[in-house]
Amino acid sequence: MNYEQLAKKIVQRAVKKGAKQAEAYLEVGRTSSVRVREGQIEDLTEATSKGVGVRVIVKDRLGFAYTSDFTTAGLERVVDLAVQLAEAAAPSKLNGLPGAKDLGKRGDTGALFDPKVANLPGDWKINAALEAERAGRAQDSRVATFDSVSAGDFVAEVYLASSEGASGGYSGTYVYLVAVPVASQDGQLQTGYWLDYKRFLDDLESPESIGREATKRAVRMLGAKPVKTQQVPVVFDPLVAASFVGNLSQAANGNAVYQQSSVLAPHVGKRLAGKHVTLVDDGLLPRGLATAPFDGEGVPTRRTPILDGGVLSGFLYDAFTARKAKARTTGNASRGYSALPGIGTTNLYLEKGTKTPEELIREVPQGLYVTALLGHGADPVSGDMSCGANGLWIENGELTHPVQEVTVAGHLLQMLKDVDAVGSDLQFRGGSVGAPTVRFRQLTVSGA
Amino acid sequence: MGRGADFAEVYVERTSTTAVVLEEQRIRSAQVGLVQGVGVRVIAGAKVGYAWSDDWEEAALVRAARTAAMIAQGGGSERAYPVKRVPVPSHYRVAQALEDVAVARKTALITRADKAARAFDSRIQQVNASYVDQTRRIAVANTTGRFSEDTQDQSRLSVHVVALGKNGERRTGMYGSGGRVSFSYWDGVTPESVAEEAARQAVATLGAVDCVAGPQTVVLAPGWSGILLHEAVGHGLEADFIRKGTSLFAGKLGEKVASDLVTVIDDGTVSSARGSINIDDEGVPGERKVLIENGVLKSYLYDQLNAKLMNQRSTGSGRRESFKSLPLPRMTNTFLAPGDHAPEDILKEVKRGLYCATFGGGQVDISNGNFVFEVSEAYQIEDGKLGRPVKNAILIGVGPEALKNISRVGCDPMPDPGMGICVKDGQMLPVGVGLPTVRIDNVTVGGTKVG
Repeated sequence: MNYEQLAKKIVQRAVKKGAKQAEAYLEVGRTSSVRVREGQIEDLTEATSKGVGVRVIVKDRLGFAYTSDFTTAGLERVVDLAVQLAEAAAPSKLNGLPGAKDLGKRGDTGALFDPKVANLPGDWKINAALEAERAGRAQDSRVATFDSVSAGDFVAEVYLASSEGASGGYSGTYVYLVAVPVASQDGQLQTGYWLDYKRFLDDLESPESIGREATKRAVRMLGAKPVKTQQVPVVFDPLVAASFVGNLSQAANGNAVYQQSSVLAPHVGKRLAGKHVTLVDDGLLPRGLATAPFDGEGVPTRRTPILDGGVLSGFLYDAFTARKAKARTTGNASRGYSALPGIGTTNLYLEKGTKTPEELIREVPQGLYVTALLGHGADPVSGDMSCGANGLWIENGELTHPVQEVTVAGHLLQMLKDVDAVGSDLQFRGGSVGAPTVRFRQLTVSGA
Repeated sequence: MGRGADFAEVYVERTSTTAVVLEEQRIRSAQVGLVQGVGVRVIAGAKVGYAWSDDWEEAALVRAARTAAMIAQGGGSERAYPVKRVPVPSHYRVAQALEDVAVARKTALITRADKAARAFDSRIQQVNASYVDQTRRIAVANTTGRFSEDTQDQSRLSVHVVALGKNGERRTGMYGSGGRVSFSYWDGVTPESVAEEAARQAVATLGAVDCVAGPQTVVLAPGWSGILLHEAVGHGLEADFIRKGTSLFAGKLGEKVASDLVTVIDDGTVSSARGSINIDDEGVPGERKVLIENGVLKSYLYDQLNAKLMNQRSTGSGRRESFKSLPLPRMTNTFLAPGDHAPEDILKEVKRGLYCATFGGGQVDISNGNFVFEVSEAYQIEDGKLGRPVKNAILIGVGPEALKNISRVGCDPMPDPGMGICVKDGQMLPVGVGLPTVRIDNVTVGGTKVG
């Protein structure tokens, strides 16, 4: 089926049914995954999926409906439903699809599709997962079991058409490998995980390396105990730093800012962190997991700095919020077919610094190296953060004993000010949010 | 089955969803959607093959069955398996399927909620409200000859409020309600009452002081605080973690894992509750299970696969978000049985501590047992009385240790208002929790202030 044509046909039908503006967003995908355990296949999953979301504007009124039913009757029904919903909705001058000015010229994404991933044989995934498990087990005898080791791939296609001239489509591939061992000693269980998630098979970390690293992370937590309550320097490893960065981006959401529900809202143009802190959302990052030529409503993606050398330089917008806030869309409309566009990040990352993670730790006389967080993280409205933490204690610049059952707490704005070093080890580990190791001058660690 | 599998199952689902969203005193959007599909599962020993598709054409179904059967290596005979409809209980009666209720009545709810929240206090600055309902029809047939069907409606209203205090201080309040209920539920539980509670929370926490970090005596308000059980013990009792030996509760049946005062029940049969199920997503009727009785571990939560591999029977706990996922052992409505302490006495006895009134959410690491519990509305307790509000508090503990430190259980059992969502392996499910007033000694409280 020619899905790009189908998207256009849906738009035409909506216009014929009375929509002043109409948009069809179509997704088609297939996925395959395997999990192994104790040298055996645990499960194999194969799937195909598709769906379309139809957004219409009738007399300044918005309607939206979606379906996975692609029969002729199903597609006619979804268009009719969208139009009916719009007719029953309240009018707002803010409603509208992105027009020619916002649609503009698309940037260069580079390749998004790897034929090697699209044609990956089932055996490759089984063998990769088995190899990761074997390597993880061989790494340390204290590995008691695995929660799971899994490998999988996706092929995803997106097509979009609108009455305002948006049209296009793209296909992308994704491949991943995850190992989750559980280590045991003296009645204590500790889990660790390590993974890689990429668009291109050649970029994927080797199964052996994933298995070994996962085991190292589990085993080093054995014997973990709380430390005393105190204020000390805290170092976030790249995974934890990425979750901090993701948190920060919630406060950079243009809608939260417009609603004055973001701790960052009053600070645009101000210095919030040192020169070494640059946070970027880049929809065109080469080989990035979230790289795409256009966003969820056809607007070209781009690079948007949020913190530029420590200065709060911008927020993220979709077309609707931009119209409301008298700003320009930044191409950050994020969605699946079953949802209206909302503001989201693309490839979000904290730019790397110059020092190695080892150097960052070496400069800490006493502190906490955090390797996992529990909880939601910071509240983007108040900026308060309080999370459960696991990690390793730093004593005279060396990682010493493991720590659990403690919390770390602070305030986003103070934490930004307190970022006193950023590592050289930027990585996107398992998602489209990336960060290097980050050190905070001081946070409150609560424990025994 | 032609390849020697020992179990096969077909799961068919059709879910329609309506969602309406309000922001800045205007209906932002109203949407409806339909997702339907089929999942075919084949089991041979401990191996599972699964294929799903949103295509109902016969060719796609046969392809899915073949794919799922790839895990079976042997030779078997291809034959038809007659299935018989199994009667299902009825723990929820929804007069009119929610998908058939006019969207305008749903938008009216959130418009009323917005007005009520704004009228509550002049410091209410933002109100975001949403109403979501689902009518989910499922049918499960398997090679043991069982065929069962259920319609699982759910309705949920949530209100999120920001209050603005002095010096730009902003506090949020969040509240919701719902269940497997008819639309007339909102005549009793009004959108105004939901909105006022959200607004009350936001205003009450204005002027909150920094939380003192370190171990404290805490008192949990009844109801929504049941998240504590959900996180501290519930997940750790799910049979997949037990069979794999990844939970710290594995191998502890019959052992003392909590104080004598603790009896924990998971009950999928509570009338009209959000977590209730007539049948689970494997066609097994929902059940009431005593998981911990007077501190002793009695049972785990089993789905069919883990039950079979562990020589147990399913407890009706095999749930899945949709046909796009394999079933996993999950909770339904999880609550702590009431004790005999009067709630006011529990508070009166505490000289210094923290009263936890409302909760944001929680998370657990089931291997080391570490759980967190985010407190969105908390007060200092001084000489048995509530003092100033405290901001940014979080409780952390190790499941069994925290349960052993439960020293008072109130006589005031209370279910949550019907807004719980549980996530496991990325699958989201509606759940219920519940708790009477409870005192826990020596809990580590996270905060910013030392000493």
